[in-house]
Amino acid sequence: MVEILGKHNVSNAFASRVSFKESQDKEKEEHAKDKVLYSETKKHPITTAVKIQADKFTKAFTTYPKKGMSGSKNANFYEFLTMGMVPYLAGSAAMIGVFNLASKFFDTPGAVNSSKLGKRMGIGVVLYGLFKVISRKFIEKPVKWRYGIDVNLPYKKKIDELPEESNKDNLISYEYHKVFESVDFPRYDLLYNNEEYGDTRNAYFDKVAKKMGYQKSEFSDQQTKDKIREKVVQTRLFSTLSSYLWAATGVAIAAQKPWESFVINPKIRINNFRNHIKVANAAKQASDKAVKNVAKYDYFIKDFGTRFVTSVKELVNKGSKSSNVAGRILLGSAVGMTLLGNFMTLKNFNNNRGNKSHGTSPLIDESKEKVVC
Amino acid sequence: MANLLEQALNKQPVANQQLSPVFTFDSDGKVRPMAPKGKLLPSRIFGSPITYAKDIKQDIVNIGKASKGKANDHELGRINDIGVKLGSLAIAAYLCVKNPLKLNKTMQFVGFGSFFASMALLPKLLIQAPLKARTGVDIHQKYIDSQGRKKMLFQDPQYDLTDLYSQEDLDRIGKKLNVSENLPDRNSFIKQRAKKVGVQGNTLWMLSAGAAPIFSALMCSAIEKPINNGLMRAEMSSSERALKNRVNLKSTIPNGKDINHKNIIEKGKEKLFNKSFEKFINNNLEEPLDEKMIKKISNMFPNVNSASVQDAIEAEIKENMIIKETLNLDMVKKALKGIVSEDVFANLTEEQAKNLDKAISAKSYKGISEILTSVAGGNKRQQVKLSSEITNVLQNTKKTADIPKVKEVKNSLYNLLNSMSELTHNKKLLDNFIASRVGDKSGTYIANTWDKVTNTFIKGLKLTDKELRAVSQGNMSVIDNKLNSLVKDGSYEKLVNSLFNIINEFEANTGEEFISTIDKYSENIFRDARRGFKSQGMHKIADKIIAAKDAPVKENIGTLKNTVMLNAKERALGASSSFYRIMQTIDVYKRAQDGTLLKQIEKKLVEQTKDAGSDISVEEAKKISAKLVDYCKKVMVNATTVDYVEKLKTKGFELSETEYKTVLGVLFDADAGDTISDIVKESKLLEGFKNYKKTCMEKIANWQNSITPELQRRVVTGITNSANAAERNNLAGKPAKLIIQDAAKQMYNSKKWLKLWGALGAVIAGTVLLTGLFLGRKGKTEKEVEAKSKVNE
Repeated sequence: MVEILGKHNVSNAFASRVSFKESQDKEKEEHAKDKVLYSETKKHPITTAVKIQADKFTKAFTTYPKKGMSGSKNANFYEFLTMGMVPYLAGSAAMIGVFNLASKFFDTPGAVNSSKLGKRMGIGVVLYGLFKVISRKFIEKPVKWRYGIDVNLPYKKKIDELPEESNKDNLISYEYHKVFESVDFPRYDLLYNNEEYGDTRNAYFDKVAKKMGYQKSEFSDQQTKDKIREKVVQTRLFSTLSSYLWAATGVAIAAQKPWESFVINPKIRINNFRNHIKVANAAKQASDKAVKNVAKYDYFIKDFGTRFVTSVKELVNKGSKSSNVAGRILLGSAVGMTLLGNFMTLKNFNNNRGNKSHGTSPLIDESKEKVVC
Repeated sequence: MANLLEQALNKQPVANQQLSPVFTFDSDGKVRPMAPKGKLLPSRIFGSPITYAKDIKQDIVNIGKASKGKANDHELGRINDIGVKLGSLAIAAYLCVKNPLKLNKTMQFVGFGSFFASMALLPKLLIQAPLKARTGVDIHQKYIDSQGRKKMLFQDPQYDLTDLYSQEDLDRIGKKLNVSENLPDRNSFIKQRAKKVGVQGNTLWMLSAGAAPIFSALMCSAIEKPINNGLMRAEMSSSERALKNRVNLKSTIPNGKDINHKNIIEKGKEKLFNKSFEKFINNNLEEPLDEKMIKKISNMFPNVNSASVQDAIEAEIKENMIIKETLNLDMVKKALKGIVSEDVFANLTEEQAKNLDKAISAKSYKGISEILTSVAGGNKRQQVKLSSEITNVLQNTKKTADIPKVKEVKNSLYNLLNSMSELTHNKKLLDNFIASRVGDKSGTYIANTWDKVTNTFIKGLKLTDKELRAVSQGNMSVIDNKLNSLVKDGSYEKLVNSLFNIINEFEANTGEEFISTIDKYSENIFRDARRGFKSQGMHKIADKIIAAKDAPVKENIGTLKNTVMLNAKERALGASSSFYRIMQTIDVYKRAQDGTLLKQIEKKLVEQTKDAGSDISVEEAKKISAKLVDYCKKVMVNATTVDYVEKLKTKGFELSETEYKTVLGVLFDADAGDTISDIVKESKLLEGFKNYKKTCMEKIANWQNSITPELQRRVVTGITNSANAAERNNLAGKPAKLIIQDAAKQMYNSKKWLKLWGALGAVIAGTVLLTGLFLGRKGKTEKEVEAKSKVNE
């Protein structure tokens, strides 16, 4: 053997295999440090999401720009993408500012007109963001309920950084990723032997396989991985496309008249509320009849809700003929894209699962030759 | 294990056999990874449109693949970019439809374009290009990988792709980065430096991307004006073309009958309208055509913005469709039973019977009663009584009995609808033509010229920001000072010339030629409509559209053509008078400054006093004249029509009759002369200004302080030197005070906005550029490596 290969080659081949095994072990060890936040997301979904976003937000404005601007060798693509929060928020603020900030210098009619437009722009920016975030759930949640695939399942990743001029000691950092954030390299490894899902090695995949209609088997991971990947791709595609259409609908809703008179300034709202309380108290002391005459105070949420509903009506029904048509098309396309997304992501295109009912298709096709590696 | 390896490696390889897409055997039979096919793409600041189009095509294919669950990270990332653009385009499209004004519609897409342009261009101009020039590293350098996917070289710093640089590239970058030639492992050192620049540049790009809305808004602000002008020109020519085509089409068809009008109408919005009309008629076929129904139906006819035409439609339906189709001899006999005996009808002579038939078909109650009364005989009193009874009964009969059902007059209603639709369509073309020039909305020629004149004037006054604010808030003392200093310095002549050029162009586009063009087109359209309605027997509508050619002037009052012409004239007159008033204001200040005004006032005052039958001393005349110089200025800056109507006895003026006549005399009398003529030499250019003064003299200065009904009539033709209130108002124009205040408000707001955001934009751009200068510098370690190599040398 040695003669055939030559001493050098053999030692190299073994060395590379040994180092490969070592690195594989090391990788496993590394990955073992990464933790899927399954129970956290299940038990405290809001707290966990807020915690993750707060961490990203803080670092996007502090640590990551510092690392990026110094050209750190530890800078990575995650940090670059996380820094996307900066232009997103700054851009939104600029968008609102462009239409609002200068108006305080204008004369009264100019300020009034500018404020009308400014309010609609401001609300537009807010609704754009809200609709974009919420609408993704219309596609993602049904997929989670139907197949048990949570495309947003987070995990905490431990990073061992390289020492640098500016930082030689504090070399461990954490990042919040999603198990399925890469469709090319999903972190299936984090789902094996995961106690959160059950006792068995394939507990997670068993669950998904069952929901997809496969027979119970020991190889559920092999069978479902590709399907999971497909579902993740479809979910990402339709949630992305529909989210921008919903965001556009949000802006269109904000472009309606009811927002022009919406009081946003907290100072004015507090003053209005104080005045209301004064009037109400005075009325209480006067008579029952006077109490009845006091108009109800529109709290922020209620006021916002009322205007929102009126604006939606105006979008589809109360504007000019052409704007109604345009509003309906816009809303319709957002709803349509969501429904199409639901259809495409929820429909089970599994040809192997048998025709009649779920849970009948065999995991392994016995007629085909198999290689076990 | 050894056996297995031996077995595997002893296996005879087939030439170029591939084990998997990434491994192959080399010529020695050893397993080798396949050579990567990735390469750098040409580094360009601006991509080519063909590549852009190819990428879009690929993106669409990727969406199709992704919908089936087949896509990779790169493709999904690109789909996100498509989503951003799709959403933004949807926003622009919706806001475009929602906004009624063409400029606003266009600006939605300009905003969309400028936003993405600023997102794409700014990092190129502020970061990528300067960094590339200084360090040789293109931070947006793209490469194409082995699978043919285009990606950014420095996208993920942990995925080092600097091996794709050629030696030539590395030498170039090394030279720019000032890397020592003799450095050991120089290439690796350069690659590390390049990667560092990539990370730094991309971070700066991400951090500064939030300023895109600011630059987008600044871009929109800069190009709004040219776009507005472009749209205005396009609207002016397209509206004229449409009108010309319409008129030409008509003239080629014999008898003025347009056989294609139905096609044209159906292509337009009227088609929708006809459907709703048809629906209404079909739903009410069995309903009686009573007063209520007539009102409803006549309100459904196309609106030509003329109350008299709408009234005429109602009257025509009543007269033409009810009486014509319901009144006959039997009905008359039946209705008059008990009032007129059967014998009367039996005793009619042949001629009387013929006349009665005529009167019945002409629906003339008076004619019917005259014939029947004369046959019935009796004394005059009895005859008068009978006549009145017959008329009353017949009138009431028509209203209460024998009212046709809607279905009986359906065809007549459709005929009328077709004619009205045609008229509406044609009038719309005419309205568009007029509106594009003198329409009361923004973006029209008149509105843009107004902005141009007022902005030129206010810029000529050279107001500081503080003064601009004071003026925009109504502080007028500044204006007086500014006008006084304007006529003192040399810029006065330049301002007068620039204003005259604008006004002259305005006169050319909205003056006599324009009015005669409208006259020509409206004559063609309305005359044709008149013929059409006449042929249907709808004389009342016909007369309300345009009077007969030989009709007296009086009959033109209130016709559609007259209203259209009058509105166009008034709009043009109002604007040109305001423009000339600005010129006159400048002129009066100049005359006051050089002393001619004082001399003119003295002379005029003496004349007026003499005319009034009294006398004035030289000293007294001088004293009053000095006061009146200020009044002249004040009139030009402040006086409104009301002040003129009250002969300047209003608050702030309070002039005596003689003083009033003196002031108006020196202001408007052509003999008084002006300083404008000294600057503008071409007499043709001055014609309009002189005419304006002359007309003002006739219709404002000389008018009697009583508004008679005759004077109030809005008659286009036949007016002598009397003016109606609207004309006088338009002639007086907008006082300079209000013009300046309004323009100052707008200018102040725009300036303030531009100052705030322009400054912020400049600061951001400057900061980014400046920060760029610090990127790619050698760090401590890099310096140490270089120093070490020098020591070793």
